[in-house]
Amino acid sequence: MNAEEYRRPAPRLPAPQAKEWLAFSKRGVGGWAFLLHRLTGLVLVFYLFLHLAVLSALARGPQAYQAMLAFMDSPLIVALEVGLIATIAFHALNGIRLVLMGFGVGVRAHKALFWVAFVLAAGLTALAALAMF
Amino acid sequence: MNPPHVVVIGGGATGAAVAHDLALRGLRVTVVERGEVTSGTTGRHHGLLHSGARYAVKDQESAKECIEENMILRRIAPGSFELNNGLFVAITDEDMAYRPAFLEGLETCGIPYKEITPQEALAREPNLNPAVKAAVEVPDGTMDAMRLPLRFLATAQSHGARILTYTEVEEILMQGRTVTGVRVRDHVTEQTYTIGADIVVNAGGAWAGKIAALAGVDVPLQPSPGVLVAVYGRWNNMVLNRMHRSGDGDIIVPQRTLSVIGTSSWVVEDPDRLEMKAEHIDLMYEYGAQLVPAIREAKLRAAWAAARPLIGSGGAQTGRELSRTFKCFDHAERDGVEGFVTIAGGKATTARGMAEVTANVVVKKLGLDAPCRTREVVLLPHTAYYRRRA
Amino acid sequence: MAEVTFKIYRYKPGAIDPPRYDTYRVSIEPHTTVLDVLEHLRLDDPTLTYRHSCHHGSCGTCGMLVNGKEVLACVTRVADLKTDTVVIEPLRHQPLISDLVVDMTPFFEKYEPVGMPYIRESEYLPHSQPPEEVGAYTRFENCLECGLCLSACPVVGSDPDYLGPAALAAAARVVQEPRGQDVPTVLAMVDTEEGCWRCHAAMECSEVCPNDVDPGGLIMFLRRELLTGTSRSGGKR
Repeated sequence: MNAEEYRRPAPRLPAPQAKEWLAFSKRGVGGWAFLLHRLTGLVLVFYLFLHLAVLSALARGPQAYQAMLAFMDSPLIVALEVGLIATIAFHALNGIRLVLMGFGVGVRAHKALFWVAFVLAAGLTALAALAMF
Repeated sequence: MNPPHVVVIGGGATGAAVAHDLALRGLRVTVVERGEVTSGTTGRHHGLLHSGARYAVKDQESAKECIEENMILRRIAPGSFELNNGLFVAITDEDMAYRPAFLEGLETCGIPYKEITPQEALAREPNLNPAVKAAVEVPDGTMDAMRLPLRFLATAQSHGARILTYTEVEEILMQGRTVTGVRVRDHVTEQTYTIGADIVVNAGGAWAGKIAALAGVDVPLQPSPGVLVAVYGRWNNMVLNRMHRSGDGDIIVPQRTLSVIGTSSWVVEDPDRLEMKAEHIDLMYEYGAQLVPAIREAKLRAAWAAARPLIGSGGAQTGRELSRTFKCFDHAERDGVEGFVTIAGGKATTARGMAEVTANVVVKKLGLDAPCRTREVVLLPHTAYYRRRA
Repeated sequence: MAEVTFKIYRYKPGAIDPPRYDTYRVSIEPHTTVLDVLEHLRLDDPTLTYRHSCHHGSCGTCGMLVNGKEVLACVTRVADLKTDTVVIEPLRHQPLISDLVVDMTPFFEKYEPVGMPYIRESEYLPHSQPPEEVGAYTRFENCLECGLCLSACPVVGSDPDYLGPAALAAAARVVQEPRGQDVPTVLAMVDTEEGCWRCHAAMECSEVCPNDVDPGGLIMFLRRELLTGTSRSGGKR
């Protein structure tokens, strides 16, 4: 074979995919913050639809709504609500961290800021849990 | 009619400059390199743009080549050098005894210099050994060992040259006593194929002897490795050199956020088998500390060995006694092998000059009248090397 | 001297396809780097391909994944990894040519248009007093163009159109120190959906950067510049 006939194949292209978000096994604090923010965001979107579903019981009359509220008082649902509060608290506080970073505030301290957001969120969740049970 | 085709073996500084020169003269050029470009000696050198001062006493031929090329490179490759100049400092009485010969050498070789007082030297380089007795500023500089050759390659490419990396020459094809091309193996696919050539240029650096052997000719080449040490921190602004006969560990080149101390010197037969001598790391620290005492405490980033491609014919002990000059061999005259040229020796600083001499030989052999233009043409930026090609 | 097992990713289109891992046992010294090991292995197996040049973390060619983390092989000592098995893989999110060799063309397609000059004003050493006639020493930029940041960035992995940390960091350097470049043009280049606003601040780029460029911090710097407009007058300096 001579040079005119030979052709090196093209490089293998990487397949872009959202699962790259989960490739965090060797990641640092920033990577974990990134992942948690995305996961809590997804949970909140899911909750939004759940919330609409619960409210839509209103459209089926007062009785249906009362039944739904009674169901919502079950310990399992209350436990899930604590989880929801944790999710909201983390997403909101880490969101503030991200906004601050976008303004150039605390970029060098972004790891410490993550832990502040994390601990505050955990504290808020604990307070809420105490109040609810 | 197609212009003649030249295959250049070796994608280091020399091969890159040869490809650029030949492509500018309108020839078709193919560079074959067995690994990544600049992965042999080129990438591993000090990153020193020589003023020639280092060779001003003992190796004046090389010193003159250095200062001439230094000035040309500043013109054709702006942005590839840290313009920090160099300082030769005398620390001991022995160094002071060398000073008159050094200054005379600088005069003889036409290297511009300015002697500054030890006080001024210390003001400019506060980490310098306070025992400094004399200091001479010369137009040394820091170069990016990889990116300058990339600019030659990028410019060659823009003039149609093809650069084939991971492509190893397995055989130099011959008809009788005439070289007709090369058979290469592409390590990306492990397939072999042939590339026809009107002339093959061997620009293999420290490997030039091995490559020449494929054509059955002998090149008097002496691979001479040295150990270099990079430490964290920029300990000096200027390139610091000891003012004495060039020896071990007597240069510190600041490079980005690092300082590179070098080198030691010995000789080997096979440039592929460079043993990194661990004990040389301590030596580099020790010698480096004679120039900049605080460097003793600097954290090690890396230590590595690189093989200088010196011209010599056996019998060399350490490589220090061999000239840094270069030589172009036309094997038709020397060995009766037609169509094969070797460029050996030299330094990264003189690569363009080496290429000019080599390309002159090539076009003469091809019976062409194509003058060298590499003294004037400003090189493309190194990033252009990676531009997508059709 | 210790024996360490190396599992090296091998891929050659048409020849080693699908990819596989080859296993080697190598004895190492305290100073042996991952690049030293590859160089040693290539003596017996010339088909092993990888990028390398300067061997001291200055050229940026030998970026690869070592035990899943982006590093420069030449400044990664095997003994420091403290494992008996070392897995070596090519950088992610970049086209793969062969074994550990990735194609840097897409990197430079995004990086080159920013037009960052490769030499910068030098920071003088503390206590250094250069005379008047020495205007300024210059030095090279810190960015080694190694691509580690692109490999570590989760957004680059899911969105190939994202400009990416290296190009954005280069843009920020132009804003900080224009050196003749046109700051408004560069700011307009990064003030896009696929520019500095695409970053999700995982900061993995700054985590892996071998030369402390801090691309993540520089992306945040660009956002602040765009939000507060301090650069509209044409840069800080």
